[in-house]
Amino acid sequence: MAEYLYNEEALENLRIKDTSVLDRLVDFESAREAHLKKEHAKKDKRMPLDEAIATFVKDGDVITDGGFSYVRTAHQAFYEIIRQGKKNLQMIGAPNTNQSFFITYGLVTHSHSSYTGAEMRGIDKVYDRALKAGRITILSEWSHGGVAQGFKAAQLGVPGLLSKQMLGSDLVRYNPYLKVIQNPLKAVKDPAVFVPALYPDVSIIHCHAADKYGNAYIYGPAVNDLAVAAAARKLIITAEEIVPENDIRYNKHGQIIPFFYADAVVEMPFGALPGSMPGCYYWPRQWWEKCMRFGGSSEENNRIFCDEWILGTKNQYEFIEKLGGARWIAEARRQTKAAEGDNEDIDFSYDEYTLTHDPGRYY
Amino acid sequence: MRDLNAPANPLETLAYIIAQQIEDHSVVYIGTGIPMVAGILAKKTHAPNITLVYESGGQDPIEGDMPWSVGCPMTWRKSPTIMEMSYSFAQCYNGYVDIGFLGFAQVDMYGNVNTHMIGKDYHQPKVRLTGSGGNNDLSSLTEKMVLVGLQTPDKFPEKVDFITSVGWLEGGDSRKEAGLIGNGPAAVISPWGVYDFHPASKRMRVKSLTPGVTFEIAQQLTGFELLRPEGEIPDTKLITPECLKIIRAQVDPRGVFTTMPAA
Repeated sequence: MAEYLYNEEALENLRIKDTSVLDRLVDFESAREAHLKKEHAKKDKRMPLDEAIATFVKDGDVITDGGFSYVRTAHQAFYEIIRQGKKNLQMIGAPNTNQSFFITYGLVTHSHSSYTGAEMRGIDKVYDRALKAGRITILSEWSHGGVAQGFKAAQLGVPGLLSKQMLGSDLVRYNPYLKVIQNPLKAVKDPAVFVPALYPDVSIIHCHAADKYGNAYIYGPAVNDLAVAAAARKLIITAEEIVPENDIRYNKHGQIIPFFYADAVVEMPFGALPGSMPGCYYWPRQWWEKCMRFGGSSEENNRIFCDEWILGTKNQYEFIEKLGGARWIAEARRQTKAAEGDNEDIDFSYDEYTLTHDPGRYY
Repeated sequence: MRDLNAPANPLETLAYIIAQQIEDHSVVYIGTGIPMVAGILAKKTHAPNITLVYESGGQDPIEGDMPWSVGCPMTWRKSPTIMEMSYSFAQCYNGYVDIGFLGFAQVDMYGNVNTHMIGKDYHQPKVRLTGSGGNNDLSSLTEKMVLVGLQTPDKFPEKVDFITSVGWLEGGDSRKEAGLIGNGPAAVISPWGVYDFHPASKRMRVKSLTPGVTFEIAQQLTGFELLRPEGEIPDTKLITPECLKIIRAQVDPRGVFTTMPAA
């Protein structure tokens, strides 16, 4: 007998025959087992990025997007996964925008879809093309809030929760994990959606500071990352800087991931590039415009763009050189401080990338 | 620098009409794009005391430049608190949010929204779009929803190709029957008209039209039969020169959100 009674209508609509592909994401028992077997002693977990990815990201894993699309997302670690060529990955997140870099290289083959795109910069044509070509299979359709509740349920330590989101929509007809049930305490009809706790295999969370044990500090929007950190079977922390434990204890109040969640700690200055990092650096906005507009225009151009920036750089320092080096760092820092109100207002105008105008600069 | 005196374009018109829906002192949930312009315009004009909420978790920022994204520092600039995403949406469920604004790729006669895919075959769409993001969450939970987008018969079909977010579902009491809360979509705003929903049938109805647009023109731009209100159809109040100048000089000086894309 199957272990899970998935939503039959959704299985049919999504044409999923072998449901074992769905199990890992909701397999609480194995997640708890993984958490029990983790290193619980306060030990130095620092290692280089390539070692952390090689050790903790395995073919077939369910990985997560992090931050908010291009805000405090562990992009540079994602690129290392691509360079190492992991296979047959599933991806979930709210948003799930960065799945497209993995889809481009055939690493992510299964999507738990919530939102893929870059807001006003346009729809994601890479995802569109991959779907039509059958290079990506959708396993479930979610709203942002639905994914957020699934991760939050895991962090809360409950099998799932009842939600008033997604009811009546096609999301519940295209998501095998969701079931519409009656609120058991209400005498009158009161439908609600059961959202199961979600347990991804591996998460990489980029933080502002971490000590060598894995206590990790986030400034700015945590989005879903505190919940994801608690849920994931394996957790890699990448951090802008490694600080003494006492710095976390005395100075870094607010959003902290506890050290015993972490499997690896990687010192990664500029690890969120090409995304922005609150308090540290603003976006190279033209990079994203070029990615969506030039890369979006054809599969060939998408490969040219990704090959140049992802495979064509060995690490974040080479990436920064391509963006404009120290000048880029200074501009990006100035912009982010002004945007956050920590400096005088500055002029945020910039030379936008369009298909007919490549300014050739990224600040 | 933008020409402050050129006639208003449809996006600026849209931003102004949306802003008019916002009452001072309210808590307003804002999606990306034109709703951002409208929220900030409202704050700089008739509703200086509103509080803006964004799904990345930012809320109640000190005004700054136009956010480049809903995750931009401008959405949480010196915020007293930044919410996790699940808590941010929960504020709609728990009744702290007065009004929300959503975009759409398609909206149907009952105000159901599609941001997933265009085409009849889910597995072979004509085009795959972004997916829900927070669209479904706000539609499911927010007390008053206003839907915002462009209007053509394809964008206003009788039935959307995929129900990302439930409006009035199949009309009548069907939204409530499905278990959803909130008052459902209050209005649909396009550059050509403002539409509401018939109180009983919940079918889309003309509320006011942009000057120069007749009921017949609005009907031609719609893929289903529009309901006609009783009596004269009022003109939508057009953007004032003063507000237009504020949009161009202060809210969106580089025209990122309010210049028409080149064809």
